[in-house]
Amino acid sequence: MSQPHAEDAFEKKKAHRQKLSGRKAERKKAKSGRNNDLDPKERNPKAFGFQSAIKAQRKFRHKQDFETKKQHIPHVDHTPLEPPPLLVAVVGPPKVGKSTLISSLIKLFTRTTLTDVKGPVTIVMGKKRRVTLIECNNDISSMVDLAKVVDLVLLLCDASFGFEMEVFEFLNICQVHGMPRIMGVLTHLDLIKNAKALKNTKKTLKHRFWTEVYPGAKLFYLSGILHEEYLRNEIKNLGRFLSVMKLRQLTWRTTHSYLLGDRYEDLTSQEYVRQNPKCNRNVSLYGYVRGIPISKHLSVHIAGVGDFPISDISFLPDPCPLPETIKKRALIEKEKLVYAPFSGVGGIVYDKDAVYVELGGSHSHTKKVEDESTNIVTNITKIEKTLDEKMEEATLQLFTAGKKITSKDLEELMQIDDDQLVSHLKPVRKEPEARSERRKVIFDEEEDEFENASSSSSSDEDDDTTTNSAPSTSVPNKSKDINSKLKNILNQLENKNGVNDNQTESQSRKSDESDDDSGSDSGHESLDDFNVKWKENLATRALNRHSTTRSIMKIVYGSIDEEPDEVENDNSDGEEIGGLFKVASSNVQKHKMKQTDLNTVESSLFDSWNNDVGKDWLEPESKALIQNCFVTGAWKESEDAEQLLKLDDAEDLESDSSEAFGDFEDLETGEKHITPGSDKQGEKRKMPVDESTEKKALAEKKSKLKAQFDADYDNAGSSYYDEMKSSAEKQSELNKTVFQQMSDDLRVQVEGYRPGMYVRLELEDVPAEFIDNFDPSYPLVIGSLNMSEENIGYVNVKVKKHRWYKKILKSSDPVLLSLGWRRFQTVPIYSKLEDDLKFRYLKYTPQHITCNAHFWGPITPQGTGFLAIQSVPSSVTTDKPGFRIAATGAVQELDKSTQIMKKLKLIGHPLKIYNKTAFIKDMFNSSLEVARFEGAQIKTVSGIRGQIKKAISKPEGCFRGTFEDKIKLSDIVFCRTWFKVNVPQFYNPMITLLLPSELRIGWKGARTLGQIKRDENIKNQPNEDSLYKDIVRRPKVFKPLVIPKKLQAILPYKSRPKYGVLLEEQKKALERVAVVREPYEHKVSKMMHMLRTSFKHKKEQHKKTMKENIKNYHKEIEQIEAKKQKKIQLQKKQIMKTRQRAAAIREKKGRS
Amino acid sequence: MTSFNKKANILSYKGSSHMRQRLILSVLSGKSVKIDEIRKLDDNPGIQEFEVNLIRLLDKITNGTIVELNETGTSVFFQPGLLHGGTVQHECSLQRGVGYYLEVLVMLGLFCKVPLNVTLRCVTNNCLDPSADHILHGFLPCLRKFILDDEDLELKIVKRGMLPHGGGEVKFSCPISKQVRPVQLLDAGMVKRVRGVAYALRVAPSIANRMVDSAKGVLLKFLPDVFITTDQRKGIQSGKSPGFGIHLVAETTQGVFYVAEQMSQPAEAADVSLPEDVGAKAAQRLLRQIYLGGCVDPAAQSVAVLLMALSRNDVSKIMVGPLSNYTISFLRHLREFFGLTFHLEHCVGDDDSEGRGSDKIHMTCVGIGYSNLNKRTI
Repeated sequence: MSQPHAEDAFEKKKAHRQKLSGRKAERKKAKSGRNNDLDPKERNPKAFGFQSAIKAQRKFRHKQDFETKKQHIPHVDHTPLEPPPLLVAVVGPPKVGKSTLISSLIKLFTRTTLTDVKGPVTIVMGKKRRVTLIECNNDISSMVDLAKVVDLVLLLCDASFGFEMEVFEFLNICQVHGMPRIMGVLTHLDLIKNAKALKNTKKTLKHRFWTEVYPGAKLFYLSGILHEEYLRNEIKNLGRFLSVMKLRQLTWRTTHSYLLGDRYEDLTSQEYVRQNPKCNRNVSLYGYVRGIPISKHLSVHIAGVGDFPISDISFLPDPCPLPETIKKRALIEKEKLVYAPFSGVGGIVYDKDAVYVELGGSHSHTKKVEDESTNIVTNITKIEKTLDEKMEEATLQLFTAGKKITSKDLEELMQIDDDQLVSHLKPVRKEPEARSERRKVIFDEEEDEFENASSSSSSDEDDDTTTNSAPSTSVPNKSKDINSKLKNILNQLENKNGVNDNQTESQSRKSDESDDDSGSDSGHESLDDFNVKWKENLATRALNRHSTTRSIMKIVYGSIDEEPDEVENDNSDGEEIGGLFKVASSNVQKHKMKQTDLNTVESSLFDSWNNDVGKDWLEPESKALIQNCFVTGAWKESEDAEQLLKLDDAEDLESDSSEAFGDFEDLETGEKHITPGSDKQGEKRKMPVDESTEKKALAEKKSKLKAQFDADYDNAGSSYYDEMKSSAEKQSELNKTVFQQMSDDLRVQVEGYRPGMYVRLELEDVPAEFIDNFDPSYPLVIGSLNMSEENIGYVNVKVKKHRWYKKILKSSDPVLLSLGWRRFQTVPIYSKLEDDLKFRYLKYTPQHITCNAHFWGPITPQGTGFLAIQSVPSSVTTDKPGFRIAATGAVQELDKSTQIMKKLKLIGHPLKIYNKTAFIKDMFNSSLEVARFEGAQIKTVSGIRGQIKKAISKPEGCFRGTFEDKIKLSDIVFCRTWFKVNVPQFYNPMITLLLPSELRIGWKGARTLGQIKRDENIKNQPNEDSLYKDIVRRPKVFKPLVIPKKLQAILPYKSRPKYGVLLEEQKKALERVAVVREPYEHKVSKMMHMLRTSFKHKKEQHKKTMKENIKNYHKEIEQIEAKKQKKIQLQKKQIMKTRQRAAAIREKKGRS
Repeated sequence: MTSFNKKANILSYKGSSHMRQRLILSVLSGKSVKIDEIRKLDDNPGIQEFEVNLIRLLDKITNGTIVELNETGTSVFFQPGLLHGGTVQHECSLQRGVGYYLEVLVMLGLFCKVPLNVTLRCVTNNCLDPSADHILHGFLPCLRKFILDDEDLELKIVKRGMLPHGGGEVKFSCPISKQVRPVQLLDAGMVKRVRGVAYALRVAPSIANRMVDSAKGVLLKFLPDVFITTDQRKGIQSGKSPGFGIHLVAETTQGVFYVAEQMSQPAEAADVSLPEDVGAKAAQRLLRQIYLGGCVDPAAQSVAVLLMALSRNDVSKIMVGPLSNYTISFLRHLREFFGLTFHLEHCVGDDDSEGRGSDKIHMTCVGIGYSNLNKRTI
């Protein structure tokens, strides 16, 4: 112990010693001694004060702007307590390493190797996180579907190649449908050998990625492959990122529930499939609910298949649950689950009514062999029967769960007497359902089928009561003799049943009544006094009774809505008089009585104003019932000021020392305060109450203090934004807690199947191709449709051509749209919203700005994004397609009609012209048309405006018009109007999931006009007039100007045309003769010329020298001037100096 | 009674009862409705004038509605269009009061494309339906709790008209909203004041004062703050038929309004009503409404229920008095049209609920997140 201590002491460095004396120390002292006790703000207030008010204002404003910019509208957080697995899609072009990445991740987290990954794989990643991994294939439709549901995208890119078109397409798809989290992953980095090149590629790719996603987006580098797998460390890091990823709330997904199907079962009876391999199937789909709770009554859309109403939904135990209790830091081996039914992982699966065991490949193999061997046999059994036989066996099903009646049976049936019939039918009614049998009715035409369907669908809802209604509805109309016989039997039957049912019903009602009575309280007799017509109704009696929650809900929802259907067919009841009128028998009367329930008067009033008031509210006992509803009555304890004061007092007393207890007198008011403790009698009375109240009060006080503390010290509070935020938080808290105590069975009824639950959806009438062509590599996206989203109408969208798409889009060319959950083909009409709020038809989309488009399509909420694709290329091999996304946009408006107008010019020609009136022909065909346009503006080409007045009788379609000036017969008259363009009602859902896999990529819908022309080799003959021709312009020849002689005479000579003189001179010029000089003359003229030239030169020279001299002179003058100036300045200085000195002296003198 | 053809999206019903509810919900949900056997065995079979009138009104405020009636009028097929709204003039049937039509507009008005601005010529006060005053003071405050911006939510009674000839006129305007917000209304508060209007149309003006006196006589035993005005109308503003009545509103500390009303018998009726009786009865009715209680006026329960159901995907909770028959059937229809079930339970736990009226019910639901698909966004 001591040794290290000694060592420490030995090794200790010499400490710094401050100088206490000397120059340096003094300086320091002086420096620090100055105002050292003050803090900088006091010492130097200038530095901290406002330098400038404007600057301070700007600073404040900037700060506010900055803060407000950070604020987002607070949304209510809908994440459930136990969220569904994070949905991670691995996206990228082919051969980039997607499958390898998934299998590496699975291996890392579950220690199992999945060799063949198909479809989604759910794994438990941590204590609180599960992940569903799914690979996205290279089909644009599966990219679109996945982008709508995925939470996180791992965007793979081959670094040795660079970004491919698929990556950008996918990013754009994501942007349109709500941006999920995106993480880039660069693979194949080991193919770049050069270190510098590697660094550069990484950098360029990273920056390109950032511009697409957001600056600073995470980009992973997977540096290489070892044993067919990525490096373990890098995958581990990636996994860590996955497990802490936080999600965004996207509008579409917080308003819709959706599932990614990870399993399906075909529930159709094998027999039907054998009979008709293409029969519609009943299918159950499985998956985790995501988004918002899914309700049973909604329809769902399966992307690539179509819309289906949910026929049944139920929740199953979670196949891949999170660890129940968190004990350790890491997961134990047992909890590392993996669930991937499409890949054959998951083992035994428990369902609602069955247990599925994964059997692997061997069994399927044997099955195949069997099929081949029994091929002939099956063929024989499949042979359809002859027509006669069919007729014989044509069946009619009377009851939903009933047996089919053939024509043979009918004969027998007629002989059986009623009692037997009843006994015969009883077991039938109780037989378990075989619903789809009802489709077999071949007996009659559509009407019957419809009726059957309606009856059976009603039976879906109520199991036991509808049976007696069915027979009447399903009686066919044709084949009258059979019909009437049947009717007779059935009516007899019905009467019996009806009586029975009535009895049972009345019994049940009675029992209900007795329940109610026993439950009702004596204090609420008041209501019984009301003598209202609907008093007999169950609901009314239920108004005021003490019962459990279940019972109110039962009153409202439960037993009552399952009333038996009314008997429709009562033709046979009563005798006919004279073949026209019927005597209303007692039976009819009875029905009539029932009918009154169907036709009650509808009023929202609790009881109508002319009913009796009932009890007199002034009587003391009734008065006591409502006394405290008024502010004059007793307040609630929590609100009563007196009570609150008392509580406060009690607390004060409690907190004070014991001396405070006891009586005391308020000296100011003279009041005497007596504590309950001192009053013995009071104590006895109040003690038990006091304890509980005190406890309550204490709790209340604590909560109050806490609230006060929160208000004081948390940032939340004052501002509007904070209020919104806190209310959103409160709401989300309420959403989570309000139904927590309920059992799941009840909860799903009220709330729906909440996200995170593993559910089984049952759908009916799914096309057989869905099963036959099922391919797990295509995502099975099931999205719920909200109210009226299954309807169809005109959708008005804002659309912009994508800047990377090479062509512009043409109106009424079909495009593929991805909107909401759906993908479909439709025909848009482009338009532009003019300033007068008119949609003007556009033939093509503008290049770089948004325009509107109208199309016939599914109703989708406003603001939903969509993208358009012109066509899915038939195959990748033919021509490498460019960027495929043609346009993007968002929904603006939905309607049932459209108003798109196209400009229309009506052209007419003048028939006859009077002064300012003209008759115009060729514009209209009839006077009726003219009448429609009376008063319309017209215009000629030359700009003369006018108005249509009235049709004239003789040439049909001509009219009288007036103009502001006289028009010419050669003028053309225009009338500018608008023409409504109809949007074609074309809506073609893209059902790619029903196609065989090899046909899916090259899905072809309707072709564009251009495509059709190209395919059919059609070429338009252009209009002659529309062709461009070379413009040939001949020079204009003007007429000579002729001035009248009279005018000429008046004009001054100068402006008078001088024909004669000019002509004379011209003549002279023409007639001038060349002059040939004599040698002497030539000499003289030469001499003269020389002299002139030399003189000219001399003059020039002189001018030059003159200029120089002047310049020099000016310079000289300037110098002299400068010297002078300097001298003056010096003198001035001297004077000023003397003056100053004198002034100083004077001042000194004055001071002294 | 009901069957639902899921593929075709059609709901089938029988009988004329709750026809208005069905039509309202049909318009909101976009599901078609087929109603058969309307008063099939009645002496006056088929759909009646006021119902036809209602369908006409719905047709006026929607775009693309298809209505098919059979020859006898016993069967109606209604395929709703999209709600358009806008300025509408409508002549109501005299068989029903204005409340019958206004309630529909109150429920649908928020979800129109263009703000609704309706002029109804009608019977403003009758016994069967909420009167125009009732809508104004009972229904609109309830509506206000569900929307943020209630700027143009107005109801103006231009003319009053009594049975049998009507002649009243009201103007209703309603803003549009994208979504309805969830509410938690669990405290109704206590009645702090009573206000009212006594109106006498084409009768002696002193009648109004006589009604006021008798009503005050009852109400002052509970509360000192009672103030009832008289509404004397002249000429055309008083409608076409003589009559009088009184309308009372109780306001609580939490801003809940309870409304009661009483009016004279129509002019042709055998028994003549005394103004004193009318006043006292109205006061008694108000006390009964207070007894029924809740966070909305008992007649406006259905409006509250509807708006709760249509609100954002969040929990709404509301305390009401005993459910009226109409509300119960409304809840059932809500389940059929929207698939929404309310959670209903009795209020328990309050010790000091003595003298606070009837037993209360907590209604809880998760809204379906209905958004106004008709509104135009730019």
